[in-house]
Amino acid sequence: MLNYVWISLIVIGILAAVGNDVRDEIVNPYRNGVPIHGILEGIQDGKPELKSWEGMLIVPAASFNAVYGTRGTESVRVRVKISRGAEGVGMIYVPVGHEIPDIWKSIAAQGQTQERLNGTILELREEDGGVSFVLDPVRFVKLRAVTKAALDYAGTAVTIALGLIGIMALWLGVMKVAEEAGAVKVLTKLLMPLTKRLFPEVPPDHPAVGAMIMNISANMLGLSNAATPFGLKAMEELNKLNPKAGTATNAMCTFLAINTSGLVLIPATAIAVRAAAGSANPGIIIGTSIFGAGCATIAGILAAKLLQRMPPFHKDDPDLAGKEESRGWPLSLRD
Amino acid sequence: MAGLFRSVIEIISIVAIPFILLLFLGWGIVRKVKVYEVFVEGAKDGFSVAIRIIPYLVAMLVGIGIFRAGGAMDVLTSVLAPGTGLIGMPAEALPMAFMRPLSGSGSLGIMTELMKVHGPDSFIGVLASTMYGSTETTFYVLAVYFGAVNIRNTRHALPAGLVADVVGMIAAVIVTRVLFGI
Repeated sequence: MLNYVWISLIVIGILAAVGNDVRDEIVNPYRNGVPIHGILEGIQDGKPELKSWEGMLIVPAASFNAVYGTRGTESVRVRVKISRGAEGVGMIYVPVGHEIPDIWKSIAAQGQTQERLNGTILELREEDGGVSFVLDPVRFVKLRAVTKAALDYAGTAVTIALGLIGIMALWLGVMKVAEEAGAVKVLTKLLMPLTKRLFPEVPPDHPAVGAMIMNISANMLGLSNAATPFGLKAMEELNKLNPKAGTATNAMCTFLAINTSGLVLIPATAIAVRAAAGSANPGIIIGTSIFGAGCATIAGILAAKLLQRMPPFHKDDPDLAGKEESRGWPLSLRD
Repeated sequence: MAGLFRSVIEIISIVAIPFILLLFLGWGIVRKVKVYEVFVEGAKDGFSVAIRIIPYLVAMLVGIGIFRAGGAMDVLTSVLAPGTGLIGMPAEALPMAFMRPLSGSGSLGIMTELMKVHGPDSFIGVLASTMYGSTETTFYVLAVYFGAVNIRNTRHALPAGLVADVVGMIAAVIVTRVLFGI
């Protein structure tokens, strides 16, 4: 299942990128190769000998709108840098600042150099400063974004994992002490009626149960820093009961169904964002979130219990394989 | 009532960690456990677990990253938008429903954006924040938790998690509509 979902994410992502880029190529929203006509102020001051200088570029509203199909009424005025090449043609550089039009900002954001727009001057008339230029084409925006995302996220994954080391060590240490002291056993006994039903495959006094309880309680309190180490500890303990390495047991799937439903008593992040957005009552979503996540948790548990009996998942059940083998031996000996 | 509940939970979540530390380590002392040695013994595993999840996390995050960067979400949203009316969900909230199981930072961005555009106390604003609180980033959790024990055949964990996500999203729409709807 995860195999197919994972490859679908990648294939759909890349195909969508290609589709978007092909569409951009046809629609040309960034107006690649369309010349922009404007006026360079101050060119008349006579600087033919200079190789490069700064000047004020003015693109009249009508001429800018003709290129980009916008409806602006003010002409564009930006300080630009001009550099003249060998045969009269030169380059124009528009630094990206707040005064440039939005469409130029998005073109710059897609380009190679984000802090300025580069253009090639097609014509520069010395007598009245009239200038025509084309901006560097913007192409393959989405494919470039895909490349960047792949590389960035690979790095992010490592950052996240390394960030876990310290917290993991802290809580695994505390858990070990609690285990040796017998504190985890007391905790598991308290919730035994519930955990026996949720995880029938796990012995009710197994350390896995204690770790799962700690994980779920930490999650509910919104202590995600502590929840992950407890959860990973629970997975390790559950894996000790797993007869088939590399395959998930029913208990693991049920545990993760509860975990991914994310039942939190105080959805702190959402409340913080609401407060920052100026909500009159940021905490109003506490009740609705508990209801939503509660429904999700119940549905997740039911789905896990139901799906574990479905043929494609049932046949891979590690506990089942173990039982069949132990049952199978005497039979084959009798034959 | 809600205010009291909130402040009680907030206090609990602030005292929880110091209290757990004190409780467990104190319990250890009472039971004559060599707390320092045992702690260090347990903490040793922290490094190896964190390192073990790296390949799983790289695979998952890169997959999700490519999916998001390619702009597939927009295509998906526009295809499915006409159907959202059936469950009373505004089409604007659809990207939230798709992003929530995939990426925490992505859905946080969408929620913030929806609140900026529609206002935090509007129907869509309340709905988006309820949706955010109604489920977890399923893909990330699966990658990390299964990665920690080198499990590659995840069986029904993903479908069960996604069922939970869908139900959570629908429940969020229903409860928001009933309490704050028009």
